[in-house]
Amino acid sequence: MSSIDFQTTRRLPLSPMRAIGTGLITLVAALSLLGPLIVPGDPLAQSLIKALAGPETGAPLGYDHLGRSVFHRLADALRLSPVIALAAVATAGAAGLILGTLSAAKGGWIDRIFVMLADALLALPGLLLVLIVLAMVPGTALGFWAGLSLVLWVEFFRLTRAATRETLASPAVQASRLLGFGPVYLFRIHIWPEIAPMMLTAAAFGTATAIMAIAALGFVHVGMRAPTPELGLMMVELLPYWREAPVALLSPVVVTFALLLGLTLLAGSRET
Amino acid sequence: MSLLKAEDITVRDGATTLLSPVSLHLDPGEPLVILGETGSGKSLLAQALMGMLPEGLEAKGRVAIGDRVLNAGTPDRFRGLWGCEIGVLPQEPWLSLDPLMRAETQIAEAHRLVRGLSPRVARARAASDLSELGLAEAGSRFPHQLSGGMAQRVAIAAARAGGARIVIADEPTKGLDAARRDEVADLLLSEMGQAGGLLIITHDLSLARRIGGRLIVLRAGEVVESGTTRDIFAAPGQAYTRELFAADPESWSPRPSAAHPGPAVVSAEDLALVRGQRTLFQGVSLEIAAGQVFGVTGPSGCGKSSLGDAILGLIPPAHGRIRRQGGAHPFAFQKLYQDPVAAFPRKRRIGEALADVATMAGCAAREVDVLMEGLGLDPKLLRRRPGAVSGGELQRLSLLRVLLRKPAFIFADEPTSRLDPITQASVIRLVTGAADTDGIAVMIVSHDQALIRNTADSVLSLSEPGNEDNALRHRRRASSLT
Amino acid sequence: MKLIASRLVQAVMVAILIGTATFIMMRSLPGDAAWRIAAGRYGYDNVDAAAADTVRAELGIDGPALPALLQWLSDLARFDFGNSLVSGQPVMDEIVHQLGASASLALVALLLSLVIGPPFGILAGLRPGGMLDRVLLVASTGVKAVPQFLMALVLIVLLAVHLRWLPAAGHGELRHFILPGLTLALGLAAVNARITRDAMARIADMPFWRFAQWKGLSERQTLVRHGLRNVSVPLITYLGLQFVTLVEGVIIVESIFGWPGIGHALVHAIFSRDVPMVQGTALVLGLGFVIVNSAIDLAVRRLDPRVAG
Repeated sequence: MSSIDFQTTRRLPLSPMRAIGTGLITLVAALSLLGPLIVPGDPLAQSLIKALAGPETGAPLGYDHLGRSVFHRLADALRLSPVIALAAVATAGAAGLILGTLSAAKGGWIDRIFVMLADALLALPGLLLVLIVLAMVPGTALGFWAGLSLVLWVEFFRLTRAATRETLASPAVQASRLLGFGPVYLFRIHIWPEIAPMMLTAAAFGTATAIMAIAALGFVHVGMRAPTPELGLMMVELLPYWREAPVALLSPVVVTFALLLGLTLLAGSRET
Repeated sequence: MSLLKAEDITVRDGATTLLSPVSLHLDPGEPLVILGETGSGKSLLAQALMGMLPEGLEAKGRVAIGDRVLNAGTPDRFRGLWGCEIGVLPQEPWLSLDPLMRAETQIAEAHRLVRGLSPRVARARAASDLSELGLAEAGSRFPHQLSGGMAQRVAIAAARAGGARIVIADEPTKGLDAARRDEVADLLLSEMGQAGGLLIITHDLSLARRIGGRLIVLRAGEVVESGTTRDIFAAPGQAYTRELFAADPESWSPRPSAAHPGPAVVSAEDLALVRGQRTLFQGVSLEIAAGQVFGVTGPSGCGKSSLGDAILGLIPPAHGRIRRQGGAHPFAFQKLYQDPVAAFPRKRRIGEALADVATMAGCAAREVDVLMEGLGLDPKLLRRRPGAVSGGELQRLSLLRVLLRKPAFIFADEPTSRLDPITQASVIRLVTGAADTDGIAVMIVSHDQALIRNTADSVLSLSEPGNEDNALRHRRRASSLT
Repeated sequence: MKLIASRLVQAVMVAILIGTATFIMMRSLPGDAAWRIAAGRYGYDNVDAAAADTVRAELGIDGPALPALLQWLSDLARFDFGNSLVSGQPVMDEIVHQLGASASLALVALLLSLVIGPPFGILAGLRPGGMLDRVLLVASTGVKAVPQFLMALVLIVLLAVHLRWLPAAGHGELRHFILPGLTLALGLAAVNARITRDAMARIADMPFWRFAQWKGLSERQTLVRHGLRNVSVPLITYLGLQFVTLVEGVIIVESIFGWPGIGHALVHAIFSRDVPMVQGTALVLGLGFVIVNSAIDLAVRRLDPRVAG
């Protein structure tokens, strides 16, 4: 009873870490969306004379080995993988939320089947699944979306299912049921407030995971194909020329790190 | 000569004084009980004497232990006394043993590392400690394989293994039923013996009475009165002490039975409940009438709460029939919970949660205000979330919530076991009041036999499960009630 | 035993999942899959229309999907993975050959991460909110945000190209382990450290921790006797889940450093649509997870008598 007074100190909605994370993400988004409007240019136009040249007004981050503007390629790349990642997270989040709630509420065979499927997927490295799906689905972007959705829903499912089960077993839900409240009220008042913060964390982590996966596969030449501008692909293309054009290599490295750091900070601690 | 002498101990949190100067002394063979409700500062006093206040709190005063004099303001100096001069028996000892270590090792390590005995001798001493406490075979068990009482004995042995003559026990009977409470009191007294010191911190009046010795009554950080336990219990000198004693269920005057019991609201015949593979009870028959208070008591694990859940239809009975009154509406069967905080939606303001129920039940919003006043609740509470309201107030709000549903039956599951005595008395009065004025059938489940004896119109006593003999006894006792 | 049964179910589900996925992959291959599989079996010089027809009939490639899938899965159940479409060697032989290199790299990375992460985690967890705790939080968050390929890139540029301390690629000598091992270990350690820190902080807040000190044990004795064992239970459990992260890392890192392991082979197999090889490696990785986690289940049962029941 005396501990009640201490429990009221709740976490602020936006902790400093989360504020910094949001700031970083906004910055990167601004670069990709507003950058090309301020300095117009073509991410695919080659000009071999300018290969590996330094920054100039038309190309604030210099040129790559084929004389393409690194700035415009970067801005383009920053619209590609984050959009795929967000689409995959939205699909996975919706699927995980619906199936997780269903599993927890229905129990029985439905629950067992989904849990078995989720456990099996959990045993497989996500990158492997994405690679297999990529090999089956025509179109790399579509393949990434499908593969990443397949990998990411498991986390949403597990979180939702665990939280919903716990909430449904609580005295608060039992009391509400005795008082005559139906499933819609139970979900809106009891379950959703418990899972919403977890969903934000999982979504931020999921987006970071997806962006990392797309970049990693690009980096080892099995993801997006040249000449599409993609973060990992840009890095591996520019790696051999890092002495001649360090800014060109560092730009995607720094921006990718900033974006992933922003998402990790936004996600906050998984344990809370 | 005193084993421990403390002068002018104060505890402050920044500018707020949590504990005003307290002086006390602890003599060999004479226990000292510090009695108080939640927030009285009794635990802070003990923590200050041990040099283990939570960070941010500041203590002042002098503590003399044996021939050493320490300043309560420098808690680090106390650390060397732990184990070898002062032993602490923690609250809920079953949580205070390392779950991954065998019982004997947890005692032996204090013999070895604190007293400096060789590993072999330490083990032998631990084994003999255990057999003195009647636990010779328990040494190789892990804590989860010990019963609560066994864990308590192991903890006592471990607390004293370093050679401590003074034992400080913080709420040693928390969560125990009456029989176990007396057992613990006797054990602590015999462990103290003629030469040891025993300091007990508790809110439990029965424990205080059983321990005897001297008594200090604390309230809101101030000493209310002190003296020998027998004198204070015989003739409390202060109004607060009298109020506190009067709130003890043992001294309640029995509630008068309803003159004309109404029609039966629920009845059960030849009921049996099973949890896992274990039969909790069988052959229980009962009938609860409108306006009647039906009490159920028994040791923990006997299935008394499950009986209530079965009547509400939350768990299926393994055998037997339960009949709920035909005329009542489907949500006329309600429940009050042991932990009211867990029974409200965690993130919704109480006012909103109550308004939801009022809308659902189709009653006017004004009804909430009327009930608030009737139950003596401050309207400001409606703006808070469940975690920010005291247990007593929240239990009254729970009662309000079920009353909005116009219930025919309320199952109150240990509704006051987490409340202080004075609050407990007022909550129980309100719950039984619902039976008296609104004609609701009330079933109160409690481990406190006195509470049940003095409130219920009829009583069902369940005993330890798993014994055919016991089960038959319920049948007789339960059926004789109806 | 319920534990073992549920792991067995997991293993079977993994096999079915991979079998089905690779079956669909095979069916969606461009060109004549039967010809390619026959070529894988008998070598490109010996393959003819008759051999392709035999394969087509056996696998039911042109027939209805369901019987073909069942045939495919029953081959899998008999551990008959077939031959690589690229090298013509039995898939089993290739995998056995590569597994050692991958396992040794993974083991080095794991050990390295355990040396780096948990000690900091324990020190930070003993003083939650202290200086070290805050530094560790910042450092681990920063490292967690670095994908493995980026970590590899940074380490290569820094240690191999710039400082010339270590070889950037190669295999066979001890020093070749350092860069790929460190790349994997840093990412694992960042998470290990957080897990350990949280476990330690939780344990140091438990009644039994305080009681150990009240018995008279010093801080150090309390840590050694009551801290380490209790912290190791959640840490070991977590390592089982981290196996997936480790495998993903191995896939990427092997490709970057040219490490002749199973991850490298997998990427190649997918690139060249070598379906039997993909199926074999994926199955080994998936079952590896199940086996490692079964072992961890057993280890936790030994450590924690409550689980053993």
